[in-house]
Amino acid sequence: MRHVGRPLARLEDYHLLYGQARYVDDIELPGMLHAGFVRSPYAHARVRRVDASEASSMPGVVAVFTPQSGKPFDFAPGGKVRYQGEAVAMVVAADRYALYDALERVYVDYEPLPAVVDPIKAMEPGAPLVDESLGTNVSHREKYASGDVERALASSDRLVEEELSTGRVVPSAMEPHGVVAAHDGRTLLIYDSTQKPHVVRREVARSLDVPLAAVRVVQPDVGGAFGSKIQVYPEEVRVAAAAMALRRPVKWIATRSEDFKVTTYGRGLVLRYKAGFTRDGVLKAVKGEVIADAGAYDWFGFDLASTAATMLPGAYKVVDLDVDAVSVLTNKPPLGPYRGAGRPEATLFIERIMDLIADETGLDPVEVRRRNLVPAGPYDNPLGLHYDSGEYLAGLERGVAATGYYDLVRRAEAARAEGRVLGVGMSFYIEITTYGHEVAIVRAERDGSFTVAVGIAPHGQGDATGIAQLVADELQIPIERVRVVWGDTDVVPDGVGTDGSRSLTAGGSAAVLAARRLLDELRKAAEELLGGPATYSEGVFRSGDKSATVGEIVEAVYRGKVKAQLEAMEVYRARPTFPYGVGVVEVELDPETGIARPLLYRSYDDIGVVVNPLLAEGQIHGGALQGISQVLYEQVVYDQDGSLATPNFAFYHVPKAVEAPRYEPHFAETPHRSDHPTGTKGVGEAPTVASAAATIRALEDAIRRAAGRRVRLRSTPVTPEEIYRLIHGGA
Amino acid sequence: MRIKVKVNGVWYERDVEPRRLLVHFLRDDLGIKSVRVGCDTGHCGACTVLLDGRPVKSCNLLAVQVDGSEIITADHSDDLMERLKRAFHERHALQCGYCTSGMLMASYALLRERPRPTEEEIREGISGVLCRCTGYQNIVEAVRSAGP
Repeated sequence: MRHVGRPLARLEDYHLLYGQARYVDDIELPGMLHAGFVRSPYAHARVRRVDASEASSMPGVVAVFTPQSGKPFDFAPGGKVRYQGEAVAMVVAADRYALYDALERVYVDYEPLPAVVDPIKAMEPGAPLVDESLGTNVSHREKYASGDVERALASSDRLVEEELSTGRVVPSAMEPHGVVAAHDGRTLLIYDSTQKPHVVRREVARSLDVPLAAVRVVQPDVGGAFGSKIQVYPEEVRVAAAAMALRRPVKWIATRSEDFKVTTYGRGLVLRYKAGFTRDGVLKAVKGEVIADAGAYDWFGFDLASTAATMLPGAYKVVDLDVDAVSVLTNKPPLGPYRGAGRPEATLFIERIMDLIADETGLDPVEVRRRNLVPAGPYDNPLGLHYDSGEYLAGLERGVAATGYYDLVRRAEAARAEGRVLGVGMSFYIEITTYGHEVAIVRAERDGSFTVAVGIAPHGQGDATGIAQLVADELQIPIERVRVVWGDTDVVPDGVGTDGSRSLTAGGSAAVLAARRLLDELRKAAEELLGGPATYSEGVFRSGDKSATVGEIVEAVYRGKVKAQLEAMEVYRARPTFPYGVGVVEVELDPETGIARPLLYRSYDDIGVVVNPLLAEGQIHGGALQGISQVLYEQVVYDQDGSLATPNFAFYHVPKAVEAPRYEPHFAETPHRSDHPTGTKGVGEAPTVASAAATIRALEDAIRRAAGRRVRLRSTPVTPEEIYRLIHGGA
Repeated sequence: MRIKVKVNGVWYERDVEPRRLLVHFLRDDLGIKSVRVGCDTGHCGACTVLLDGRPVKSCNLLAVQVDGSEIITADHSDDLMERLKRAFHERHALQCGYCTSGMLMASYALLRERPRPTEEEIREGISGVLCRCTGYQNIVEAVRSAGP
């Protein structure tokens, strides 16, 4: 009756398929009003005056909040807007159409200021300052170093110096941001499209100075997030404040174009570096800086740079390192976590370096990795991270075999004869997942079924199914007798939410330990009832020839025959764990247009215990396409004034079914468990980490075949124009 | 303007502003929330419905344009729709679920037209709907397996 390891279809699907899904825009409350925001057309401007008089008198308009309204409506802090789309006023109206009419009638007097768009230029003296109070655009800098990088560089056979970058991407969850808030005089109830209900709760309570106990945050169905719903946005707080001020429920739903202005952007990291390696292809030293294009507010820019800096060595033996993490303010929307959050960038950077060594030494790319990999974990990465477990060298060999990498290389060679241009790229990755605490409560019901409440906040990953599998196995009962609930701050007191590939590991471990603790509690009651030491199996306690089911014990507690806790809560602190593996991408290139299409993604991942292969594979599919798409399709373009030239899906390309590859994931047959009770390591981000690095190499490989010479790709995305020029020459 | 529309087999008669989008009419006036809004440029397809048998993006039409027409949404139930929903469930063809109604409608329209589509035809057929979670493969397989 074991459930773990089986490809069970999700328990979360029914309501999504049968018209009962409830995303935040589906929520209608009596008397509800609609909120919207007036947003700056300038990337950098002083806000001289906001005139809401005409808007305020329009039919259907209930209120307009401007910078004069005071906290938390302190729009345009410091009297200026710092990115195009930053809010300057908020309108609340009786319906959506009246709202959009009124948003057009709020007049703002701007004094445009010079904008700084490029993070490298933003670091130069004399650049316009995003935040004058800092006196610089460098918001944070920290050094991560080990060994003696200068000596290692000096003693290297070969040196390379270059700049690698990952362009900004828009996370593009299919459901835009949105929130509904209502205040009934006692409780501030917030329905929020978020990854972190408990964090929203804390932030709202703090910002509005209300007790935590008076705030309830419900995460309804959330239509994707990919990191973009981690930040608690000012809009979420302001909608809650408006609901309190107006004593009416208030809803704000971003349009897609508005979402492109509101959301945190992903990637946006640059590595400027110098590296040294031997003629045998061994990397000796890396000295450089990871620069985050943090945007107008450094919400996550530094964290991302620092993750990318500390993960830069990957699982390679190089110990002489000197890497600065730098976050730089620019007149753009704030940077934030996006599926992988620093690890896809670190992996792309270090794998670009491995590929460069291969090209410079003439060694096979797999051989270069073989010569550089740490054989196995546990391993202390020189920049302070402890890799828990894994066989990196053997994993490379198994990964290359499982993905049929060399068969694909031969296929690409053979395709030349048919007039087709294919390219193949591989990457080896290691990434960090899981952090922080997580909370679970398991409750025994009168009929011996169990309710599990968790603080993680999944929104499509299928963690509720995974946790039901884990808990059902722990309690030795059919999965039908376990119900998992989440996404409501009333059902568990705290939790970190869903991000960082941590939910099944941290949330699942909390649930397993809570179930164990509850069983101990019930066992004590059973022993008292049965009059002797009791054993448990499959929902029944036995002592000698007497037995009692869980349901009977719960009944006995309610009848006062015995005392026992019927609920157990576990607060689990989860240390990081490190999945690793190999990703291989095959692309086909049309040399006449420069357009490349992904054909195939194959992977080999050691993600620890695979609780549900169907769902884990689903994560590989979607995650791989996001990494591939970062390289091939998705481009954020700003003009020199910081105006977004790709402001919605008409200009920003999210791939369609015809533009997606086939996926063939393989999981390690003998996985290396994490030391968490679940043994899992996390899978949500691994494919994104692996696929971007493999895709850019596959493109390089295809361009080499088309052009008849080696090229070096240094940034993502790689546009068809760039590919065309690399093949055909010309400026 | 007063319009009369048959939605999932039921006739509705309503007064609507001429500028009202069909998607808002369906969601806000009729309460059919399975029709979703994912963009404002007609690119995401989350709002796809069948209008007199053809898949359309309901954000690209005004409600007044469909006066007298018949609309089917993902709430419609028949043998084909049931097979599709079962296949989506079994093949893990949905994650966050936000595009799912649109995907179901595009697939339903495709399978009614071509009961045994090739993989390429399926990919073409659902390419009016964007999915950010699944990478599409499981949707393609679900549609293929939902045929007769």
